[in-house]
Amino acid sequence: MFQSLDKYRSMIRINKDVPSMPFIILGAILLFLGFIGVVRVFWQGHEAVYGVTRQVPWGLLIATYAYFVITSTGLAFIGGLGHAFGVTVFAKMSRRIVLLAFIILLAGFTQIGMELGHPFRLLYLFILSPNFSAPIVWMGLFYSIELVILAIELYVVFNPSGTNHKVAAVLGFFALLVGIVATSNLGFVFGSLTARPFYHGVYFPMYLVVSGIAGGAALLMLIYNIIYKFNVPDFYSDAMAGLGKLMGICLGVMIFLLSWKIVSSLYTQPQDSVEAVTTLLKGPLSSHFWIGEILLALCLPVALLLISRVKNLKALGMAGLAFMIGMFFTRYDFIVAGQLPPMRAGLEGAGVETIAGLVQYSPSVGEWMVFALGLGLFLFLYFMSERFLVLDEQTRQ
Amino acid sequence: MADKQYAIVLDTKKCLNCKACTVACKFENFVPVGDDTYRIWVTEMPLQGKFPRLHQEYQPSQCQHCENAPCEKVCPTKATFRTREGVVLVDYKKCILCKACMAACPYDARFVSDLHEAVEKCTFCMHRVSEGREPACVETCPTKVRVFGDMNDPASDAARLLSSRQHYQLKPEKNTRPRLFYLA
Repeated sequence: MFQSLDKYRSMIRINKDVPSMPFIILGAILLFLGFIGVVRVFWQGHEAVYGVTRQVPWGLLIATYAYFVITSTGLAFIGGLGHAFGVTVFAKMSRRIVLLAFIILLAGFTQIGMELGHPFRLLYLFILSPNFSAPIVWMGLFYSIELVILAIELYVVFNPSGTNHKVAAVLGFFALLVGIVATSNLGFVFGSLTARPFYHGVYFPMYLVVSGIAGGAALLMLIYNIIYKFNVPDFYSDAMAGLGKLMGICLGVMIFLLSWKIVSSLYTQPQDSVEAVTTLLKGPLSSHFWIGEILLALCLPVALLLISRVKNLKALGMAGLAFMIGMFFTRYDFIVAGQLPPMRAGLEGAGVETIAGLVQYSPSVGEWMVFALGLGLFLFLYFMSERFLVLDEQTRQ
Repeated sequence: MADKQYAIVLDTKKCLNCKACTVACKFENFVPVGDDTYRIWVTEMPLQGKFPRLHQEYQPSQCQHCENAPCEKVCPTKATFRTREGVVLVDYKKCILCKACMAACPYDARFVSDLHEAVEKCTFCMHRVSEGREPACVETCPTKVRVFGDMNDPASDAARLLSSRQHYQLKPEKNTRPRLFYLA
């Protein structure tokens, strides 16, 4: 038994050269804030703590859930490319990819767990009384399978006896496949809502998958720059360039999809959809849209990728940082914009309050605290791993 | 013999906007007090015509008990279900409060109830109907705006109104096939 434990000691080392402590401390502070938020929710109840309403039932926590889990499946996609499809440049990042994907998926689960009014009921009702026509059932199933696959992948890539590449390839393939299905299904949770024309259709299932892959690449480019203090070794140049190109392709597709979404909404002006798009272009979400979604998530990363020709690794890190901040606004916009057009006009007696024809939503302090829980969990667990685990033995020994 | 198929037929021209229906509903069903917590509502429609020939109508409404109910389709735990009589109900013990049904409802007919710790909505007062009584909103209305009945029974007042008067449903483009019919 002690011999087998000794084997695992080779995986543990204090990495003092990695700037992990500030992020661990930040993560701990955010976790503490999140803990207070959780206590408030259990003490006062969801309705008292959260800012969601009858008209806007899904708010910040659905957006942050999407932000985390879609990034996770994007990472799983990139890991699958490395393991299962012979894109060997990414294989050297496999430990960080799998670890990031696993931890960020856990962070996502904290958000949905705190969003649901009865998360414990979900655990047995999904088995005892599942409604297979409901996209949420499939989303829950696929993300649960994804978590299990990533947990097994973690074991495989951290096996001190060496990685079994055949097993890793099979796991990587399924992580990629299930990840895509899970994310597109998350898009269908919204795409199935005929009541809300902005959501309805195939746009979001496609957009979420593509933006998730871009998110996975962006997070990796950012993390490698942080770990190596914006001086990533040449050993990773090809992998970073590959991530930059992958992200560039995804950004191109995202711009294409977003442009047609806006044009199709404005051109024929389908009811509600045009109002949702108008909230983005010149309404209450316009600053999020133009600064977050367009400038940070699309224009700045594209400019940095083009100017650096995907060779300057610092520029790739900055593109990743801009994208990850911008993507937060993108997820928030997509969740909120679709719900701002009311289901009936805000006339006297209708029970709906509107301003300029739209209902209002603003996240509460409690919701931000629960987001802090997810972000804190991610930062704390990941940078603790960076500090104490051997994640890239090739360059550090 | 075919099952009963319940529906409500509304003649909005009779509505005085007294809101007795909303009060009766609150008391009958212990609906919590709050801006967002209501099962039925009466919308004051925009004024029509020009002064001095003005006209105003009110539109009482509630859950439409849709035949093709979007809320039922998206509910992950079958908490929302349709009875054989076509009434859409919520099994509170199965509701996980994911609020997908609220997002899916084109009529904004649902809300989160602190009392039931679940999503709540109009039930056509099935606890009264099973005793042979009418829903509270129907019974209390002084001008009989709402007529409740079985569409499969040609002798019912609701069926007779539907066969003799022109009527419409709200948001027909959503293909939800509501069980609330408004007389034209």
